Amino acid sequence: MDMETDQINQLDVGNLLAFNSNHRFPSPSSSREELVKECVTEGTKLVQAIADVLFNLSSTDSNDGPLVQLPRPSTKLPREKHHANLLCFLFLFHLPRPKPPTKWEEFALKKGIQKRKKDKIVYDETTDKFKRRHGYDRVNDDNDIPIIEAKATDERVGKQEKNRLQNLKTAAKAGALPSHVQLAVTALPISGTKTQPQKIGKEALGDVAGFASTSTASGGKFDKKLPGEKPPKKQGKHHKYLPVLPRYGEVDEEKEQTNKVLSKLLSKHSHEILNVGKAIDMYNDYKEKKKSGRSDKLKAKKDITKKKPYAQKAK
Amino acid sequence: MRPLDENETTVVFEKIFKFVGNNLKNIVENPSHEGPEQDPGRYCFRLHKNRVYYVSESLVKRATNISRKSLVSLGTCIGKYTHAGGFHLTIMSLSVLAANAKHKVWLKPTSEMSFLYGNHVLKGGLGRITDSIVPGDGVVVFSMSDVPLGFGVAAKSTQDCRKLDPNGIVVLHQADIGEYLRDEDEL
Repeated sequence: MDMETDQINQLDVGNLLAFNSNHRFPSPSSSREELVKECVTEGTKLVQAIADVLFNLSSTDSNDGPLVQLPRPSTKLPREKHHANLLCFLFLFHLPRPKPPTKWEEFALKKGIQKRKKDKIVYDETTDKFKRRHGYDRVNDDNDIPIIEAKATDERVGKQEKNRLQNLKTAAKAGALPSHVQLAVTALPISGTKTQPQKIGKEALGDVAGFASTSTASGGKFDKKLPGEKPPKKQGKHHKYLPVLPRYGEVDEEKEQTNKVLSKLLSKHSHEILNVGKAIDMYNDYKEKKKSGRSDKLKAKKDITKKKPYAQKAK
Repeated sequence: MRPLDENETTVVFEKIFKFVGNNLKNIVENPSHEGPEQDPGRYCFRLHKNRVYYVSESLVKRATNISRKSLVSLGTCIGKYTHAGGFHLTIMSLSVLAANAKHKVWLKPTSEMSFLYGNHVLKGGLGRITDSIVPGDGVVVFSMSDVPLGFGVAAKSTQDCRKLDPNGIVVLHQADIGEYLRDEDEL
């Protein structure tokens, strides 16, 4: 009974371990057989102790016999990586705890969404073949469509068209329509305006025809001319300068030009030649003189050299 | 070098007319006795690189032998065209203008230097002035010894000049012979 009390202290049923730390061999045994006998007897006692505890645990029946759930082991053992019985280690050491489910996982659980793995090869219905999902020659490639349907026009197009027409109307009112539009429009009067659309003159038509004929890729050089179409007038700036020196025997154009300009200028300023104030004064003087001259004729002219008749009286 | 266009000629003649009036005819039809030819040729106007030159015809004939790039100047340069097509008379036209000027102003010796530095002519510096000047007329400025000093535009008429205070501007400065020293590069 002494030995039983010795065995109580270390019994780890979870690990199926029993340990008797108080046992001492009484004396160094003389022979090996005695030592072995001693060990066996001690071991049997320990096993009996475990068996006692085991059979006292509640058991469930199974096909193989009574099944017992072992309690948690009490001995701290270092962690083993690939132990079959991992469950028992779970709360012993700081193993990675299972992550709490993420928000998505919770949601998926709630909604019953399953994870579906995508295949690398997909069946293509247009060509009855299996094609890869991504990469070269893939299924449902956007660039492979031979004909793309046009999108239905959006509201912007309508708005732009309206603005364009309004611009043309205001330009027509101001008389500044581009000539190609004006040609098209002369037949119709523009609604809302009282002015009649003016007919295009010969010059304007000629200009437009010139623009049209030269607006080809090669500037209109190689186009066939219509019957009756005249070659376009010389385009660009025209400058004709007089020769530096007059040609021998020919009319001196430069001299003529300078004389022309000179005479024009002088005639323009000819009113300034006359000093108006002076002319008025001279005219007034002349008039007065004339006036006084005429009145003299009526009066008897007094001749100072003649002796006065009174002079004869004094005798 | 080429003769002037009709428009260009009008612009030049208008400017000269302001200074010389009807004597413009004398300028244009001036007989020149340069050159070995017996018949006197005329003076004409030629345009070269935006400058107008007053040259005799015989000189023009000889100048045609010089290429455009090498030709610097010929005869008398009377003015320059601006970028916009306007025309300005430069000081080098003074000899032509002074000989034919209609409106003249004589400066006192004290104010000669002031004018030669580019200042306007004040009433206090005025010696003599010709009659019947209208504001805006071209005026040629002389010293008391009848040396042409430059030209400008009249700011006041002759009548108003008499009533002016001594610091009033009579002639607005346009060009003076001091520019030969000051603006050597631009002439």
